[in-house]
Amino acid sequence: MTVAAADVPGPGPSGSAAADAPAAVLARYEELAELLSGMDGRPLADPDLSATAAAALAHEARLLDAGRFEDWLDGWTDDAVLWVPLSDRAHPGNDQSLLLDDHRRLAERIEWRCDPSAWGQQPPSRTTRVVGSVEAWDGPRGVVTRSTVLIDEHRHNRHQQLAAYQIHELVGDDLRRRTKILVVPALATGVRNPSFLL
Amino acid sequence: MTAANIDPVVADFGELVQPHRVHRRIYTDPAIFEAEMTRVFAASWCYVGHESEIPDPGDYRTTTLGLRPVLMTRSRDGDVNVLLNRCAHRGTVLAAESSGCAKRFVCPYHGWTYTPDGQLVAIPFPSDHPVEDYSTLSLGRLATATYRGFVFATLNADPEPLDCWLGEAVEAFDIIIDRHPGGELAVMGSPQLLEFAGNWKLSWDNAADGLHATFAHHSYNTLGSTVDVETVLARDPGSTPMVSKALRNGHMVVDQRPGIPQGPWATMRDVPFREPLESALVDAGATELLDLATGSMVNLSLFPNLIFVGNQLLVVEPVAVDRTRLNLWLTSAPGAPPEIDLLRLRVDEDFVNFGTPDDLDMFERVQRGLSVPEMEWIDMSRGLPDDRATDGTIRGPITSEAPQRRYLAHYAGLMTAPAATRAR
Ligand code: FES
Ligand SMILES: [Fe+2]
Repeated sequence: MTVAAADVPGPGPSGSAAADAPAAVLARYEELAELLSGMDGRPLADPDLSATAAAALAHEARLLDAGRFEDWLDGWTDDAVLWVPLSDRAHPGNDQSLLLDDHRRLAERIEWRCDPSAWGQQPPSRTTRVVGSVEAWDGPRGVVTRSTVLIDEHRHNRHQQLAAYQIHELVGDDLRRRTKILVVPALATGVRNPSFLL
Repeated sequence: MTAANIDPVVADFGELVQPHRVHRRIYTDPAIFEAEMTRVFAASWCYVGHESEIPDPGDYRTTTLGLRPVLMTRSRDGDVNVLLNRCAHRGTVLAAESSGCAKRFVCPYHGWTYTPDGQLVAIPFPSDHPVEDYSTLSLGRLATATYRGFVFATLNADPEPLDCWLGEAVEAFDIIIDRHPGGELAVMGSPQLLEFAGNWKLSWDNAADGLHATFAHHSYNTLGSTVDVETVLARDPGSTPMVSKALRNGHMVVDQRPGIPQGPWATMRDVPFREPLESALVDAGATELLDLATGSMVNLSLFPNLIFVGNQLLVVEPVAVDRTRLNLWLTSAPGAPPEIDLLRLRVDEDFVNFGTPDDLDMFERVQRGLSVPEMEWIDMSRGLPDDRATDGTIRGPITSEAPQRRYLAHYAGLMTAPAATRAR
């Protein structure tokens, strides 16, 4: 759509930064889609890097299972994305997801998890994550890892187990989470209240 | 083909569904659930899919009509067919994928082969097979009709025309479609699938329940602090100018627009990547299109299985008397700038993540509570007496339980005097 400058209403931001912004969104989505679709063909992982990454992933699982969500949130970069697609062929800009959070919505999610009137998580789910098969490689922006995770959930009078795999992009010396993609095959057939997934 | 065998004495629905209260059994009795699969889901027009999901000849999508496996196909002449996904030989489900493209449907069991419009065209090694007229062994067909791209089908032996069945609901249906540039609306690929351990009617009771948002969604109303959503949802919901309507055939409308004069986008919370996408639209002079990124604020429910909420189609799929699967399909706006659909993807995740879990929890709590046999009744008297207009529509504040009363009265009628069903 092209509109003469005089017709542009409102005080909206202008200039090239704003014009380029949707391209930045699409570029971030493309990164996510490539991480997901490019995972299966990767070569044998680096053993030392994998051991280092395994410690970071175990730490994350421990924080989540303990309900230490604020601490977990501290471990993300400002340009964080947590993506839970509905299939391993999904694209974040073309397909519905269960969720795709930036840092702001991650913070809201933690606020929601701690709200005593958020009935979907009150009483909260008790989870146990079993992380396995950790593989890590050097990537363009940091360490790329793939691991499997079995998430066991108890809540009210119910119990469910979801097997999944997760892809992380861990950046900097302290391996902060820049990207996490959680692929849960059961989402393609139906899951009860998945609001415990992180 | 023969009609389903109907046992007329499942229960006295005049007793179970009264004007001011309903009995727990309609949510807990497996025999009633089984009868519903024919009397409600096979005998009513049900939404099966959208034409945009099967654009080309051979495209198909599988779904269910109640518990019956169903196939929506596009045949070579461009027609849309809704067929029973059941081989005429020994009953094998033909297509197992949720969608695909096939010139022919070949049964994996013994190789009988059908065209996308359900005609049997080949039986392997036919020499020892006595069938002479293949047309007697077609796939079962459903009566099919579309409304502006939305495909409905029924096994009712003598259905009323779709337009009559929609009736006054057409007004809200058109509002939802017409806000899209060129009246063009499409349905995106894969649905979110959420299950709850409860009866399918609990989602129906909830669809036009304007009171529960204040309580069940309290956390959603107060989450984040940048936008003043709270004033809309958390003040006395019965005093807002929002309107609920109970229509013929169990359809329901909640029109929130009068309560949101500033427009829906102004009430939208900050979703991921909102700012760059919003700026691009504003810079292009398309600010007024931003409302398209949110829902129409007209919630329409077409009994028994289609609920419009936000920009999603919530398709209610019964699984068992105490198990339901919600299929949430996202609609797109092909005639709008791409930023609109990019925003929709993130906007419609918002309520699904921070609102829907509350609903799911309430449904499961209600189902557990209804297991108590000594407490038989569910009160549905709020807003009585009903204020019925000359066209039969009952209007009221969004806290009125008139929509629940009216859909359940329609339901009781379907269950009491079952319509004959048959495959064509
Ligand atoms: S059951 Fe389909 S060919 Fe035999
Ligand atoms: Fe709700």
